[in-house]
Amino acid sequence: MNHVKSLRSALIALVGLCVPSLVIAAELPDKQAELQVKPKSEDTVYLNPREMSAIPQGAFGDKVRQGYQLFVNTQQLRGKYVGNELNCSNCHMDAGRKPNASPLWAAYMAYPAYRKKNDKVNSFQDRIQGCFTYSMNGQAPANGSEELVALSAYSYWLAMSGLMDQYQVAGEVPELSDAELLKGGKREDFALPAAVKAAMNIDELAKLPGRGFPPIDKPELAYSPERGATVYQAHCQACHGDDGQGLAIAGVYSLPPLWGPQSFNWGAGMHRVNTAANFIYENMPFGKSIQLTNQQAWDVAAYINSKDRPQDPRFKGDVEALQKQYHNHQGYYGQSVNGGAVLGSQSYPVNPDKK
Amino acid sequence: MRSITLGSALLLLSMPLLAEPMAMPPSAQLCGTCHGPTGQGVEPLGPRLAGLSTEYITQQIKLFQTGQRQNVSMTPMSMVLQGDAIKPVADYFASQEVPEVTVHLRGEAAVYSDPTQELVYQGDWDRMIPACVTCHGPSGVGGGQFPRLAGQQASYIKTQLLAWQAGTRKGDVDAMMGSIANKLTADEIDALAKYFAEIK
Ligand code: HEC
Ligand code: HEC
Ligand code: HEC
Ligand code: HEC
Repeated sequence: MNHVKSLRSALIALVGLCVPSLVIAAELPDKQAELQVKPKSEDTVYLNPREMSAIPQGAFGDKVRQGYQLFVNTQQLRGKYVGNELNCSNCHMDAGRKPNASPLWAAYMAYPAYRKKNDKVNSFQDRIQGCFTYSMNGQAPANGSEELVALSAYSYWLAMSGLMDQYQVAGEVPELSDAELLKGGKREDFALPAAVKAAMNIDELAKLPGRGFPPIDKPELAYSPERGATVYQAHCQACHGDDGQGLAIAGVYSLPPLWGPQSFNWGAGMHRVNTAANFIYENMPFGKSIQLTNQQAWDVAAYINSKDRPQDPRFKGDVEALQKQYHNHQGYYGQSVNGGAVLGSQSYPVNPDKK
Repeated sequence: MRSITLGSALLLLSMPLLAEPMAMPPSAQLCGTCHGPTGQGVEPLGPRLAGLSTEYITQQIKLFQTGQRQNVSMTPMSMVLQGDAIKPVADYFASQEVPEVTVHLRGEAAVYSDPTQELVYQGDWDRMIPACVTCHGPSGVGGGQFPRLAGQQASYIKTQLLAWQAGTRKGDVDAMMGSIANKLTADEIDALAKYFAEIK
């Protein structure tokens, strides 16, 4: 193991954690734990949020629109809260509206959520912070910040407008205070129109069809990065590049990097082979002109996740210890693939300064 | 090779000699008749080539040669460039300047009142049409294998989308563009062609 390098990454991680205004526990919670969602079925009807043009004028509407803009062009927070070249909408497709691409409307109604793991109730803003820390390889905005309010407002508006339309409730989406927006919709005191309340209870609302990335069946053969490389060349390389680094046009990585220093880090949900396989099967190749087989999705998920990426922000200098504590799942952290260096031992920095 | 020499001889008569940023290889002179000497396009003879990448131009020549793209004027022209002869010509046109445009980024606006702009910057996911700019880059300025649409001739953009629908243009990996073109209505094609052509 390269001690100098790990020390450096540890230092970088530490510095990242110590920014005073940001209240983050010394022990970063596992905010990227797997969601348990139902497999997809053919006749499912998904919530259909209103068109963007239906967002009302005024201060509340402005927050909703700002949330959309932050979600799609998250790079405006680069160097501040974002440490890679991704945008939220790269994984939560159609700006967080698309069912089965972990849509914001389904997520909003599932928080606050109790988590056994840290015996803590995670609010919606906690969950968003998780994606900043891991998927965006950055430093999450503080509790109650303008950015988290805006992202919550957008998510809430998508959920509520969809529910109101589904149950024929006319009128504007009711406005909420910032404090309420940040909590999420899974709570007894969350204001719901009577027609919605009559149709669905709080647990049903927390499991709206289309939430998360629907699980696909296990592969027939054990997943293999070697076979995945072939799938990659045939069906992914055209867009994500032969080296997985994506393509920037006019400075914007519309075609996002899948591994390496500019992608999600080792703590992000997408680094798990199963989560990536589910995402890929449902959403890639982008535009879905073809459908991969189950086996191809698993193999290519293994391939992209057997490459190095930014360090897990919970890393404290010991890859093995971290691997034991947080990586007991389908992933390659702490392993050597094809005789290469142990993944995690030479990973890229967490939240590097853009310059 | 023989046909190139013949072609260029013919061409020299009609072509004004301009100072170029990259010296024009003799084999590119023929192309200039229809595409303009600096590849700016001559409507309706040929589309603009400036602003396209070497990679893309090379690939398209091969698609014409193998019949996956078909066009009465361009198919025979593609045949004059074989093997190593393609790259210098592709490099030449790829190096030509295009007007700089102030790009509009995805997420820069939340609401578009014009349905065409909505399609361009947000897509229509109910029909599985992603925003055009996701692949073609901000404002459609293009890069790599994704051709520049900004400032391209409207008539050309339109014929290409129709060619995919008619099955006469193929060769894009996994039909990634063809499958999108197939979902567009005739009115959308007209509006999109006009929209991109006007980005100057
Ligand atoms: C690299 C891909 C990626 C990026 C980029 C990303 N996320 Fe996520 N996000 C995920 C994954 C994976 C999950 C967990 C889904 C699962 O396990 O099924 C998730 C979950 C979430 C959830 C909870 C979903 C639920 O139903 O519980 C929210 C909310 C969320 N992300 C918001 C964001 C925001 C806001 C951003 C940008 C700041 C962002 N994400 C960027 C991959 C990503
Ligand atoms: C047609 C181009 C294209 C192809 C082909 C393609 N992707 Fe993508 N991919 C994208 C785009 C664009 C996004 C971001 C989506 C957005 O912003 O709307 C993306 C996002 C992703 C993401 C999440 C974001 C990130 O950077 O990690 C993963 C993972 C991914 N693709 C994997 C794959 C895999 C694996 C394949 C091959 C099976 C593939 N893609 C094929 C264009 C493509
Ligand atoms: C006689 C006129 C003519 C000449 C000469 C000509 N082209 Fe073309 N070219 C066309 C036309 C017309 C098209 C559009 C074809 C279509 O609609 O599919 C075209 C298309 C192309 C394209 C595809 C552009 C795109 O955006 O996809 C490339 C590349 C190209 N030509 C390169 C060349 C090169 C290189 C030469 C010189 C060897 C050349 N052309 C000579 C008429 C011509
Ligand atoms: C999934 C990625 C992707 C999306 C989204 C996309 N395109 Fe394309 N487009 C391509 C690729 C790749 C090519 C080049 C195809 C080839 O190599 O033959 C292309 C080519 C084209 C061309 C031919 C240009 C030329 O110079 O010949 C036109 C016109 C076009 N696209 C229009 C659009 C429009 C309009 C939209 C939005 C409705 C759109 N595209 C969305 C990937 C995409």
